[in-house]
Amino acid sequence: MVIARLLQLPLILLAIYTLTFMLVWIIPGNPLEKPEGRRPPVEIVDAMQARYNLDDPLVFYGDYLSGVSGLDWVLGDREGPVIDFGPSLRHENWTVNEILAAQLPVSILLGLAAIGLAFFIGVGAGVLGALRPGSLLDLGSLLLALVGISLPAFVIGTVLLVVFAVHLGWFPVGGWGEPGHVVLPALALSLPFAAYMARLTRSGMLEELQSDHVRTARAKGMPEYTVVLKHALKNALLPVLSYLGPATAAAMTGSFVVEKVFAVPGVGTHFVDAVLGKDITLILAVVLVYSTMLVLLNLCVDVLYRWIDPRIDADGLAA
Amino acid sequence: MDGLMLRLLLPAFLFLAAILGIARCDGQGDRSDLVIAGGGEVFTLDPQRMSYLRDMRMGGALYEGLVRLDLENGGFKPAAASSWETSDDGLTWTFHLRPESRWSDGSSVTAHDFAWSWLRLLAPDTAADYSSLFFMIKGSRAFWEWRQEQLEEAVTDGIVDGPGLWMDAERRFRETVGIEVLDEHTLRLNLEYPVPWLLDLLAFAPAAPVHRPTVEGWPVNTEGRSVAWHEVEAPPWNSRRFVDFNTETGRLQQDHRWARPGTLVGNGPYVLEAWRYKRDMRLKRSPTWRDPDGVRNDSITTLAIEDPNTAVLAYESGSVDWINGVNVEYRADLVEMARTGQRNDVHIIPAFATDFFSFNCRPRLPGGDLNPFADPLVRRAFARAVDREVIVNNVTRLREPAIATLIPPGSIPGYVSPEGLEHDPALARKDLEEAGWLDRNEDGVLESDDGTPFPVVNLLYTTNTPRYKRMAIALREQWERVLGVEIELTGRDTKFYKNDLREGDFMIARGAWYGDFGDPTTFLELCRSTDGNNDRGFVDEYVDRTLDAAAMEQDPRARMEMLSELERYLFQEQLPMVPICQIVDIHMYDPDRIEGVSHHPRQVQSLWNIRQMQEREALAGVSAP
Repeated sequence: MVIARLLQLPLILLAIYTLTFMLVWIIPGNPLEKPEGRRPPVEIVDAMQARYNLDDPLVFYGDYLSGVSGLDWVLGDREGPVIDFGPSLRHENWTVNEILAAQLPVSILLGLAAIGLAFFIGVGAGVLGALRPGSLLDLGSLLLALVGISLPAFVIGTVLLVVFAVHLGWFPVGGWGEPGHVVLPALALSLPFAAYMARLTRSGMLEELQSDHVRTARAKGMPEYTVVLKHALKNALLPVLSYLGPATAAAMTGSFVVEKVFAVPGVGTHFVDAVLGKDITLILAVVLVYSTMLVLLNLCVDVLYRWIDPRIDADGLAA
Repeated sequence: MDGLMLRLLLPAFLFLAAILGIARCDGQGDRSDLVIAGGGEVFTLDPQRMSYLRDMRMGGALYEGLVRLDLENGGFKPAAASSWETSDDGLTWTFHLRPESRWSDGSSVTAHDFAWSWLRLLAPDTAADYSSLFFMIKGSRAFWEWRQEQLEEAVTDGIVDGPGLWMDAERRFRETVGIEVLDEHTLRLNLEYPVPWLLDLLAFAPAAPVHRPTVEGWPVNTEGRSVAWHEVEAPPWNSRRFVDFNTETGRLQQDHRWARPGTLVGNGPYVLEAWRYKRDMRLKRSPTWRDPDGVRNDSITTLAIEDPNTAVLAYESGSVDWINGVNVEYRADLVEMARTGQRNDVHIIPAFATDFFSFNCRPRLPGGDLNPFADPLVRRAFARAVDREVIVNNVTRLREPAIATLIPPGSIPGYVSPEGLEHDPALARKDLEEAGWLDRNEDGVLESDDGTPFPVVNLLYTTNTPRYKRMAIALREQWERVLGVEIELTGRDTKFYKNDLREGDFMIARGAWYGDFGDPTTFLELCRSTDGNNDRGFVDEYVDRTLDAAAMEQDPRARMEMLSELERYLFQEQLPMVPICQIVDIHMYDPDRIEGVSHHPRQVQSLWNIRQMQEREALAGVSAP
């Protein structure tokens, strides 16, 4: 089943590529033109367009496809990396491969840290809230969820920076390259995910704590933490787990706002900047990478499901 | 704890530890002597391809042109050339290069390097944004056009021999373009017409020399790498890493990736130590620089912090020494604090640039409708209705110098700016009436004599900063109040805005222009009918004729007077655009710590001249809040 799902991946990606390509192509503007400043003569613009196949959508579509699929490499038409996302149209000193190689690890790292944090904060707050519904603790966790979901990242980010970086001086303000650089952006990035996980855990826990098997476990005199963690939480976590897949993919492909505010060199900014600059090769690359991650992570979640709850069998996986 | 807890916690701890561990490996080492936040990523370090200010600033540190702007005293300073002389007619310039100049790989900088770099600059294949600025070099425009034709013909004939065509072009360039290598260290330029601002152009980053074996990617073991390249046979094309030829068009294609750490070879005071995409760029003192004592810091890091607010926070926390170009929302408040003496680290530097609003001067709009702004009287009325003081004091709140002419007054030595049209509501209404627009049937709408109502005016602005939205709103209010017209605002992202400009799909549109060299024509050429940046579609034979005549005028004073009269004509009578204010640049640095930042209006900085005045360590304890 896992194999079958993996085999679907290329088809899904082809569909996404085609759709994105069509959308990107109709954005007005010319990526080779600088947004401010002098305009080069028309002949030059035409020649540059021709060089990057921007004068012919079909040629571009085919060329790019054979580059990213590695087809031309297999056929021996091209040297270099198997998968070639082409040159960045806006940043001529870099290829898209180089940009991704430099930035994707940053985004993945930050995303994993954020999801890890979110899982702890979210599940923790959710469990605590569910144990004493209506208590101060519960209200606190609700408030966290509310803040996390409703406050935009640039507000949270700026507040974190002003308090922890400028006033307390515990962390550097922005940039990337040492452990301290991870903490604040990971926290800012994690809050919306944590909030959602807290809500999911809380409602799951409330339901589970009322259930028969939990009552039985308590009646058997099991210690409370075993009841809560082993009997209730395990089942209550299922919805959180299914949320983890897309959440991880989203977190790992970065966040435009968090990356801007903390000056983190990740790929998230390209989802906006590349589109504004019509850097076609870069847009296609980030969309394809994101899609691949999304599909693979959803697959991982389904496998995890089975591990947590063996009742979900292979047939369930295929569904 | 039971197994479940462990199963949950152990991987979590492991991955948090791993993340922090990995993040650590990604570091970049010691703090540089000077850390700059300059607003975003550098586009290219290939000088001929540069057109952004921040690129050129780096260019000035990595390469050295023949001369430099003298930032302290005005005028020019010798750079790669130690001296130069001009012929009496101003058409021949001879430059004497310093024999001791070295590329960062140790080889000599020669006149051949300049000649070859200018071939790059002037060949259409490079697609240099600034090539046309150098068309005053004898034969260069003809060469540019010849090369275009040569390629077109080859394509039509179906015989595209890229290398052959290029060799022909190289030969033609040597034979017909007025760039002569007299000897290794003497270079002569022959001009089509006298260009008093030639030195200004030569100080410009696109005129900086590049190292041919590096740019073309000659194999490392090639002889030309260690001795002068012009003395050896160039390696075969297919072994040059960074150049090839387009098989369909025959054009020389350049791969600009030579301009990277490890491969980039320059002749400036610094070498490129590291450049990490959208992170930082690190320069360090060049070991081969001819004047080691003139470099007052050993290393410079430029951080690519794109968020303006983060840049200010980084500055406040001490991790950035100097922000050049503060763009935060609250910068008006910073300016106010500087003005009232509450802060001494906010510096307002007027730039060689003007914010204006363009009128569409074409007779008809794209839809075919008549365009009232084709009439200079209407444009004059609109210009007179603008109260610039309100805009700079209450809208942008940066208190920029409000100006009614295109060229910032006082910015060009020897040039006297004419008066522009000042704010005068009564005259504005009179102009509009004279143009035939008045409320004939008293319904509150202006009509022409045949009863056509004045169209709703479409005012186009860009949305990437709130500045222009605010200006547009203020202008709408002023125009509606003074003239009784109706204005409709259209906010567009830069891409769409550029499209609209090109297609003439606007009535009034925001615009700005940064002067490139210290001569009035750098602004006034915008009003030439054939100029590539004449977004207004403004056509006036007198303007074109005067610009041509000024180019031929030998007497500098008479020339300046001609141009001043031209500017008067443009901004008192024609008004292709209504100037609003001079643009200002806001910098943040602590004047007690940082020394040597230039306030030159051209926003050029000698990075090597900037230093920390005290030991940073000693200050670290003091600067923490």
